Amino acid sequence: MKLSASEKLFQIFNYVILTIAASTMLFPFLHLLAMSFSSPVAADSKEVFLWPVGFTFGTWEHILQNRGLWQSFGITIWVTVIGTLFSMILSVLTAYPLSRQEFLVRKQVMLFIVITMIFNAPLIPFFLTVRELGMMNTLWSLIIPGAISTYNMIIIRTFFMGLPKELDDSAKIDGCNEFRVLFQIFLPLSKPVLATISLFYAVGYWNIFQRAVLFLRNQELWPLQMKLRAYLTSPEELAQVNLFLGDYDFNTTTLKAATIIFATVPILLVYPYLQKYFVKGSMLGSLKE
Amino acid sequence: MSKRNLKAVTLTLLALILLIAGCANAGGNGSQQGSKNTTSGSDGGDQQEEYVTIRVFKSHMGVGSIPDRDNPHVQYVAQETGVIYELVTVPPGSEASEYINLMLASDDVPDILRPIGGVEQTLIQQGGAVALDDLLPVYAPHVWESIPQEAWDVVRSASDDGKIYYVPKVYLIPERAALLRKDWLDKVNMDLPTTTEEYKEMLRAFRDQDPNGNGKPDELPTTGREGGKWMDHLFAMFGVAMWEGVPEWDIYEGEIQYAGVTKNMRAAIQFIRELYEEKLLDNETFLNKGDVWTAKINNNLVGSWYHLPANLRDRYTAMLQTAPDAYVIGMPLPKAEGFEGYITQKSMGEPEWIIPKSSEDKAPYALKLLDFFYNPDYFEFGRFGIEGMHHEVVDGKKVLLPADDNRPLALGMRNLTTQEDMDLRIEQTFPEEMQQIVKDIFEVSKADARRIAGDGLPSTVYAGFPDIQSHKMFQEYLTKIVIGEWPIEKFDEFVERWYASGGAEVTKRVQEWYAKMSK
Amino acid sequence: MILPGIIFYIVFKYIPLAGSVIAFQNYQILKGIMNSPWVWFDNFKFIFTYQDFYYVLRNTAIIATYKLIFQFPAPIILALLFNEVRLMFPKRTLQSLFYLPHFLSWVIVGGIVFEVLSSQGIVNTIRNWMGFEPILYMQEERYFRGIVILSGIWKEIGWGTIVYLAAIAGINPSLYEAAVMDGANRWKQTLYITLPSIFPTILVLFLLNIGNFLELGFEQIYNLLTPMTYSVGDIIETYVYRAGILQGQFSVTTAIGIFQSVIGFILLWIFNRLANKTGEGLW
Repeated sequence: MKLSASEKLFQIFNYVILTIAASTMLFPFLHLLAMSFSSPVAADSKEVFLWPVGFTFGTWEHILQNRGLWQSFGITIWVTVIGTLFSMILSVLTAYPLSRQEFLVRKQVMLFIVITMIFNAPLIPFFLTVRELGMMNTLWSLIIPGAISTYNMIIIRTFFMGLPKELDDSAKIDGCNEFRVLFQIFLPLSKPVLATISLFYAVGYWNIFQRAVLFLRNQELWPLQMKLRAYLTSPEELAQVNLFLGDYDFNTTTLKAATIIFATVPILLVYPYLQKYFVKGSMLGSLKE
Repeated sequence: MSKRNLKAVTLTLLALILLIAGCANAGGNGSQQGSKNTTSGSDGGDQQEEYVTIRVFKSHMGVGSIPDRDNPHVQYVAQETGVIYELVTVPPGSEASEYINLMLASDDVPDILRPIGGVEQTLIQQGGAVALDDLLPVYAPHVWESIPQEAWDVVRSASDDGKIYYVPKVYLIPERAALLRKDWLDKVNMDLPTTTEEYKEMLRAFRDQDPNGNGKPDELPTTGREGGKWMDHLFAMFGVAMWEGVPEWDIYEGEIQYAGVTKNMRAAIQFIRELYEEKLLDNETFLNKGDVWTAKINNNLVGSWYHLPANLRDRYTAMLQTAPDAYVIGMPLPKAEGFEGYITQKSMGEPEWIIPKSSEDKAPYALKLLDFFYNPDYFEFGRFGIEGMHHEVVDGKKVLLPADDNRPLALGMRNLTTQEDMDLRIEQTFPEEMQQIVKDIFEVSKADARRIAGDGLPSTVYAGFPDIQSHKMFQEYLTKIVIGEWPIEKFDEFVERWYASGGAEVTKRVQEWYAKMSK
Repeated sequence: MILPGIIFYIVFKYIPLAGSVIAFQNYQILKGIMNSPWVWFDNFKFIFTYQDFYYVLRNTAIIATYKLIFQFPAPIILALLFNEVRLMFPKRTLQSLFYLPHFLSWVIVGGIVFEVLSSQGIVNTIRNWMGFEPILYMQEERYFRGIVILSGIWKEIGWGTIVYLAAIAGINPSLYEAAVMDGANRWKQTLYITLPSIFPTILVLFLLNIGNFLELGFEQIYNLLTPMTYSVGDIIETYVYRAGILQGQFSVTTAIGIFQSVIGFILLWIFNRLANKTGEGLW
């Protein structure tokens, strides 16, 4: 398709702006990466910008050798996968009826749910509720109490509402019940939104911290973020406990940088896999007009 | 069944299976929770040789794993005291005070805890703390005797009925000091400043004569951190009681008052403002985040600053990298005309250990455990722990091993620092060459240090006035006057507003407390 | 089908929500909710008579409004720009880069902001080249809100585009084909096809955001605030931090939370009714 001159100009303009902006987003990570490979003295003296100074593997060696870190990595992966699955199932099951006009109490239930999004319970009652249900010190305390994010669920609902009514009408005529309509017709057509919301939930579970602190007393169960925060506490506080002699090629500053990279990179790799679901025209061919 | 349906059903089945597995897990852990309750009977009756388990809560323990009952450290302590300690701590990086509050709210209370965020007052006022007056001399004689009576009096004054409800932290030497680059002083051919005018002259020399020798006018003669923190030396010269950037309470004109609203403070702020104007004070001092401030010092940009000498090692090492003749000394406070300067020392009265009422029957055992750490016979053990686990022997000397995720934490309960303790700590953590430097600094700061009247002030005096407690108004006025946005006359407005917004009430309470204390 | 969801909401949302009654009590931790004394509206009185309450509320409302005007539309515009990128590879790469900052905590981003705006930072270095004196931005009241908005956009714009891109992906391509045949250029296509198609999404996200109008989130402001900018930057959350965390005033902080929620709910109610007229509201 031929582009007019103004359209070509726009294209170039677009690319340039986007590239410049995107680079600014990249710089902090490059900086952190560089810090993680730099010597402790250089890191503390702020000599590092985008390239390591006093290149050393020390920080990464220390981190990667840490058996506990890999264990918490495994836990985080378990929580993320199971949690996302659980949340998605629950969210979809909730969103579908709310998107169908036949569901007579639809509006009332929506109000019921939206109120919980606006009015937040204070910490202590929430804590006590979870505790009474016997979930203390289990990984389920990370998943079940937060299983449905109203925000995410409503996005799914909106998408479902956008699917034409003719779809479920024609399916019902063919004798499908509600469940089959949902699973066999709606879900396959909802790939973009399912991918998106799965990503949202996955990131949420991956970064879980608050709830983990409250409910997990057993160190063996700590997810990644908790383990990593240990490295991020202020040096001042730890000074009392951790002064020691010796030559180490890492310190809290370099560890901080490396742990951020370690904690973030895996989840960053998820997005490219999901991008293929953002394919135009996923609705194509569904309706026999 | 179509392929898609099959997938859906399998997924659901999978989820169900995991759900059930998870519940079984929960059940198992639930019973572990229960076992904690069965061992709390005071006639032992639990595993092994009739030891009593005491749950100890201590925050800010850094990185490390929680030791279990078979851990050699725990076992050794148990052998010597008959008490097995169970360490409960907050995950590093999270809010300790929130955590404790949740524990209290859910009846999951430890047997002895180190309070954070004013929790001790919550316990005392709601009748949740055990009075220790009679128990201490009997069960924790070392604690009772090694802590000075003065400190115990401060503790008594913190409660309405005058009983001792907690064991205080005692720090008998000044923690902080005014530090100076001696090599810079030599380079500009000056002597130690004895007055504030001379101090200014010295700073001007630092600014103009390139003492760090790199040809760039990048020196920051003196600097501090965001919020006005760590510039205490500039306030100290004027006799203002200051702790990490917030004013304290001391005697002014015969009465105990908030240092922030005194004449001394006005003079100090005026002085600091002049320094800022002449760029003798880093103009970004109020923006310096922690790591930025440290970097400036490490990079040989700063001549005079204020910090903990005990933490000097890493900074000094960094300085030496680019300035091999760097030398740091403690700076005796220059005199400000009309004022008596001093370095603020807070030595006693901050709560360290408190026993909740719910564990009253185990209190004797908790105190025995505490006493273990205050007993000089066990000091070395308390410091170094178990060989191989907490320390190793290098050239015949015990050396602490670095903290690590996999290394079990060792409980330490003694928070009493005397000159000997500090000397020992210096010897253990500083390389030979630096030890004398640090010891010299302490000598200088000791001479200038003074315990303030407000040492040990209970946080309840601020109840209902969170902004007074957070010193928000002070910080606002301090920063804006210093950077020149407001004239010094605005200070008088600050004093008025401070009193009007609750300062008067708080002052009254503090004065009442002080009167009670000095009886 | 919806039963599990309902149970979830009742158990984990409504039951703990009942605990909000501590806003009407003088909650004493050791006594628990049942035994703490009731003070009814005293906590609310305390809040409203707090001398700086007006400032704190004003700052919160102003910043919240700026966010709505600037930060809300930003991802939409970016999504539309992404839509114009023809080549797959740059498109995917750029998108992935854009959502990196979302993963950084405000502690880090705050530090970055301070450094970029410091006297040695990029902005002042450029000003230097142009012959101007450096400005210490973080100390000046007049820049604070702008910095808050800009940094917020920088951090979240990429992440925010994800939903809109998913919505755009769901648009039927035949609509575009028809438009092209009618001679519409890209601009007209965007205006008459893309935007209207994603309007329901925009509307929903708007409604979801407005319910939390006064809740700006503690992290960002806390990490950018300095005493010199308190008068324009101190918001409800930072006040709550001082009163709550520092003083353990659970009842007061819960009362403040209720206040924020009530305002948010009222706004949501109003906009939901409007939405029902033009499109589909939440209920």
